Amino acid sequence: MTILELIAENYARLLEGMGRTLLLTFWSLILASVLGLIFGMMKAARGKIWHILSSLYVDVIRGIPVLVLAFFVYFGIPQGFGVNISIFQASLIVLSLNAGAYMAEIVRGGIQSVDRGQMEAARSLGLPYRKAMQKVVLPQAIRTMIPSIINQFIITLKDTSILSVIGYADLIKVAKAVIARNFEAFRIWLIVALMYLIVITVLSKIAKAIERRMTYAK
Amino acid sequence: MQNKVSVKGLVKSFGDLEVLKGMDVEIEEGEVVCLIGPSGSGKSTFLRCLNRLEEITAGTVVIDGFLITDPQTDINTVRENIGMVFQHFNLFPHKTVLENIMLAPVELKRKTKEEAETRGIQLLEMVGLSDKAGVYPAQLSGGQKQRVAIARALAMDPDIMLFDEPTSALDPEMVGEVLQVMKQLAADGMTMVVVTHEMGFAREVSDRVIFMDGGYIVEEGPPEQIFEHPQNPRTIDFLNKVL
Repeated sequence: MTILELIAENYARLLEGMGRTLLLTFWSLILASVLGLIFGMMKAARGKIWHILSSLYVDVIRGIPVLVLAFFVYFGIPQGFGVNISIFQASLIVLSLNAGAYMAEIVRGGIQSVDRGQMEAARSLGLPYRKAMQKVVLPQAIRTMIPSIINQFIITLKDTSILSVIGYADLIKVAKAVIARNFEAFRIWLIVALMYLIVITVLSKIAKAIERRMTYAK
Repeated sequence: MQNKVSVKGLVKSFGDLEVLKGMDVEIEEGEVVCLIGPSGSGKSTFLRCLNRLEEITAGTVVIDGFLITDPQTDINTVRENIGMVFQHFNLFPHKTVLENIMLAPVELKRKTKEEAETRGIQLLEMVGLSDKAGVYPAQLSGGQKQRVAIARALAMDPDIMLFDEPTSALDPEMVGEVLQVMKQLAADGMTMVVVTHEMGFAREVSDRVIFMDGGYIVEEGPPEQIFEHPQNPRTIDFLNKVL
């Protein structure tokens, strides 16, 4: 069988797997962005309690491998608390929590990279902290955060592959099933690698274009 | 009538370092007060305490009848009436000149968009920059930036203006254009507190000069008195060095 025939025979299933990979990535990144924004702002704020809470979250997540977190959420929590969690829910929780912690650090760094004088100028005009943050500091912070955010997006996309161990039917799991049937490990993994490469390259290019449009002369 | 600014026993510490060691200052409506003194004397810190950009350690500050040292006081409302101009301008780089000026009045619902725009254009005319409305701050010279910053502070129609070394970061040839705008403002009756190293401006424009050193007010009085007949040896020494 030529590689083209191999692709012709399996492309539908592989694309379906890639679709689920992208679906999980998409929703995880949305949730992670929300988590990152909240915890990142807490970390950049002055209040001590906020700072401790967000540091706790970030340090705990950073100190646990994604694989352990996945097993804990999917196998541990249902047993410990007697709740049912679907594979997709567990995958979503794991990836969001994980990416959220890194996003929090990115957001904190972005906010702190904005000159203090910006916040002071906004506050001196009478704007409350939240408004000053929203209208003056964050728009500037996001611009400096973009390269790191893109980087985190790509890492999360690749991290989805870990969730195949708890049974999420992503590209990896589909590929394994295909290989179990036809024993074409070399060529199928090659195809899978190329699929990741293509998707990530395209996403990076789109992200770069967005980045260029959002930068302004300093 | 109550004074515009009334400061009693103001103390400000950063950790163990006491920067302001008990200041008493009264400022009347329409008065222009210049704060002069060596670096590190606490001039800027004092100014920043007036709109609570610095937390006040002890003492009382009353602005427009509001006791701003009281945590119950809504500092945002008080700040709406206190314009501040910074040494490093602090214009919002992601907004055009006109958007910089319109931001606060619109966000705080003091003006509609149309009103804020009309007022913004008016203010830009006043500072001589009506042709720069749609430009971003990065495209302006230092002097132009500072004039925009003054216009932005005025957009909230404040009745007190604080200036924190407004010309210190400027190239010498741009100092004049900023001082010109400030003179105009003083002539229009604005209450102004100005931290400055521009002795010429202090002498010509201010009603009163306060000389600070080491966190205290060493000497204060009308400019003629401070500049022509200083009494305190530290004032004399400082003026000898800068004049």
